[in-house]
Amino acid sequence: MKNNIAELRDKCNMTQQALADKVYVTRQTILSLEYGRYNPSLELAYRITKALKQKHIENVFQLKTIAL
Amino acid sequence: MNGKNKSYWKYIFGIAMIILGGLLTYFNIGKEFLGFLTTGYFLFYVGVITIFIATLQIVKEDKKIVDERMEFVAAKASRIAFMAILLFAFVIVIIDSMESINIRGTYLMTYLICGTVLVYFVSYKLLLKVN
Repeated sequence: MKNNIAELRDKCNMTQQALADKVYVTRQTILSLEYGRYNPSLELAYRITKALKQKHIENVFQLKTIAL
Repeated sequence: MNGKNKSYWKYIFGIAMIILGGLLTYFNIGKEFLGFLTTGYFLFYVGVITIFIATLQIVKEDKKIVDERMEFVAAKASRIAFMAILLFAFVIVIIDSMESINIRGTYLMTYLICGTVLVYFVSYKLLLKVN
């Protein structure tokens, strides 16, 4: 999955720590998410979407298209 | 398992060790062990230390976050540690077939467990960085 957490976080003037505190994870987890090293669970994805003040989860997380 | 539940288990374990240590000493079971007069004294010491540490942790109230990524990494590290046990067992069998291993079973178990814990710890730390 790919995401635009970093951009949306900047728009909300939020630090990684602030976002981490809002969604009850560590700052390292937010860092891993932004670098695409970790895919969140559905629950965490929804919490992040809400914290970034987005209406739809697709605004934050997108499925990478795989060439078949 | 939240912090309070963990503390209850530590207290239960500590009290169990103290009772067991007391029983072993009362019935004169056990011999000199790791510098302690008897095994019972050692277990009593373990129990007291466990209760002391559990109390310290409650008083300190250190809030540690364990999020889903850490749980995911812990699960991966557990699988690696399990594979390590199988690998160690295989290696021991091979070495024993070449040259007989003369070591007490208890020491072998201790080394195996310590090796597994080390593998778990190292893989957890590495996977946490990668993930």
